[in-house]
This record gives sequence, structure tokens and C-alpha cells, in this order.
Amino acid sequence: MSTEETTAGHLQELRRGTVVLACLVRLRTPDYGYALLESLNGLGILVDANTLYPLLRRLEKQGLLTSEWNTDEARPRKFYRTSPTGEHLADALTTDWRRIDDALAGLTTGDES
Amino acid sequence: MTTLTDRYVWAAARTLPETQRADFDRELRERIGDATDALVEAGSSPVDAERSALTELGDPAALAAQYVDRPLQLIGPRYYLMWWRLLKVLYSIVLPIGAAGVLLGQLLSGADIGEAIGSTVTTAISIAVNLGFWTTLVFAVLERTTAGAGQPGIAAVWTLDMLPALPEPAKTSRLGELIGSLVFLGIFAAAIVWQQFGVVFHDGVREPIPLLEPALWSFWLPYFLALIALEILFAIALYAWGWNWWLALANLVLNVAFTVPALWLFLTGQLISDEALAAMQWPWGSSGPVIVAIIVVVVIGAATWDVIDGGIKAWRATRARRAASIA
Repeated sequence: MSTEETTAGHLQELRRGTVVLACLVRLRTPDYGYALLESLNGLGILVDANTLYPLLRRLEKQGLLTSEWNTDEARPRKFYRTSPTGEHLADALTTDWRRIDDALAGLTTGDES
Repeated sequence: MTTLTDRYVWAAARTLPETQRADFDRELRERIGDATDALVEAGSSPVDAERSALTELGDPAALAAQYVDRPLQLIGPRYYLMWWRLLKVLYSIVLPIGAAGVLLGQLLSGADIGEAIGSTVTTAISIAVNLGFWTTLVFAVLERTTAGAGQPGIAAVWTLDMLPALPEPAKTSRLGELIGSLVFLGIFAAAIVWQQFGVVFHDGVREPIPLLEPALWSFWLPYFLALIALEILFAIALYAWGWNWWLALANLVLNVAFTVPALWLFLTGQLISDEALAAMQWPWGSSGPVIVAIIVVVVIGAATWDVIDGGIKAWRATRARRAASIA
């Protein structure tokens, strides 16, 4: 396996959990799959459609998101929204994210000294 | 008019349970439609956009399987090791026993040795295929059976007790002895059955006469076959436990049980059939008594040596074990 592939693999692993957190935070305002994909990628949270759509379905199954069909337009769209359980998880994930960030910062400064 | 999208959605939805199809259909159409629109906006023609949006989705069956969390492997990591261990146990126990049973049955029913081996091989292959197929089928079904909510399913929990013992070097070397004994005993048993159909050669022509007295089938030949079966058990016990005083005693009993009746039958002239003696033109001049004496000495000598050898090995093994337990 080349270095590039290894790097890509590790980056993907690092980002996997952050996509969940990003979805939970972003979907405090309801939105549908494609709009969410666009806005996350626009913000620099890189995620693939083949990852995002199954993820949304899984989060809904776990009760972290709720969904509702919007049939006002020609194309019916499923709008997802973060549930109260999802909010709790988002808080927990955010706290942990900050803790890890601080720890990594500590490691880096420790290296320099 | 059916579009590519219609065909794709149908191909994906048909593998799903009826109740989930309508929802899945709508969700998938939304996803395809949005992706196509985005590509059209970026400058593709509608036809190209639809094609590349669908290509991006990949195999519809895989997509649908992901939707309902259906496994895309025959046996997954949850059951793979259990399946593999069971298969190894079955292949190392059922297969040899089945094959040996068929071989013995064929030989006892008087089949030709080649024919017996042939049908043993075919039966062994069919046993192997059946074992593999049915075991795998059961596990593939298990893999697709979802445990009820809150239940752990049938997954076996690994415990420390399942750690294999380190291979004893002595046991590895005993394996060779075991295989040697089993092969020898198997050939010996086959020879007792086979001699019935003629092993005496006269001027290079096989005579269709038994070597051993056929009247012995009423008791003594089955007795010797049973002894061979016991010897096989003995060889396996020896492999499992190594020499000890119990096994040395068993070795003595088995040797006596074999040698005494065999010599008695031989010396009283009941062992070899009259036809075979006639075909061999026995007694060969005046050398008869000498040959009989040599055979008796060799048989007694071999049995005695085997008993002494077992005793020595048991003594050595006991001493080694005692030394190891002190250390």
C-alpha cells in the first residue's frame, strides 16, 4: 500500500466520527439529504454521498434524528431534524472533541519544550 | 416510458421486504433526482447526468442490502470462528469414522479390496461435501437471523479455558507412532479378512483358498478382529496420555490375549487351513519342526520385547514426569 493510500485511509477514519457530530449540529435546522451534503462540503467538512445517506438513515434508526416528508414541491423530500437524544449526543461528542483537542495541544507543546 | 431511474429503483427495491419498499422508493428517487439536477446544473445533458448519478450509486442490490442492514457475506465475523472450529472437529472425527466404517463394512461383506477402497473414497468425499454444505447452511441462516431486542444472540463467548495447551514436543513425536500403529493395525485387520479369498500362490497362480481355517470364523477370527479394535483404542490412548503404568499393563494384557491363543491355534494345527497346507505342500521335507520352532520363538520374542519395551517407556515417562513436577 502506498503512503498516499495509507494517509487517505487514516484521514477517513479520523473524519468518520466528526461527520456524525457535524450532522447533529447542522440539523438543528431541518434539511434534506442533498442540501446537507452541499452545505457540509461547502463548510469544508468533506463527506461523500455514499457515506452521508446511509448515515442519515442509521442516525434516524437510532433515534438521534427525526424525519418528515415535505411534499410541497414537485419532488418529495425527506427532511431530517436533530432529536432531543441527538442533542444530548451532540453535546457529549463536542465535549469529547474539545478534550481531545486540548490533549493533542498538550502533546504538541510538550514536544517543543 | 420507463427511465433508467425507474429500472434502478425497481432493481434495488425488489429485494426489500414489502413494508419498506414505498419509503425506500421515495428516498432513493429523491437522492437520484437531486444528484441528477446538480449534474445538469454543472453543465451535463439530462441523459448523461442520470447515467452518472446512477453509476455513482453502484450495484442496486448492495445499496438495498445496506438499507436494511443485510449482511453481504455468507458468514460474518460473529460466527466465522465458530463455524471454522466446528468444521474442523467434524472433519477430524466424523469423516475418518465414517470412512473406516464403510471400509470395514465392505471388507466384511466380502467385497474385493479395490472395490472396497473405491467405495470408501467416494463415500468419504460425499460425507465431506455434506458436512461442509449443511454446517455452512446452518451458519448462513444464523447470520441472517436477527436476535430479538436485548438478546445477545447465539454468539459463543470466548473464555480463558478455551486457550489451547502448548503442544508437548513428546506428543508431536508420538503422532508418528500413532499413525504407524493405525496403518499397521488396519492392514492387519484387512489381511485377516482378505486371506479368506486366497493369498496362497502356487506356481505364480493365486489359489482361491483361505489361508486360515474357515471354521475359526465362528469365534477366533472375530476375536482377533476385536483385539485389533482394542489395539487401535490402545494406540489412541497412548497418543493422548503417553506411556504410564496402566498403559504398560494394558499392553501386557493385549499381548497375552493375542499371542497365547494364536500360538495355541497354530501349534494344535487349527490355525492354517488344510487346503492351504496342501497347496503349500507342507511339511517341507524334514524342515517342518525347525520352521515351526522358529515361528514360535519369533512370536514369543516379539511379544515379550513389546511388553518389556512398554515397561521401560512407562518407567522413563514416570521418572520424567516426577522430575518435571519437582522442578
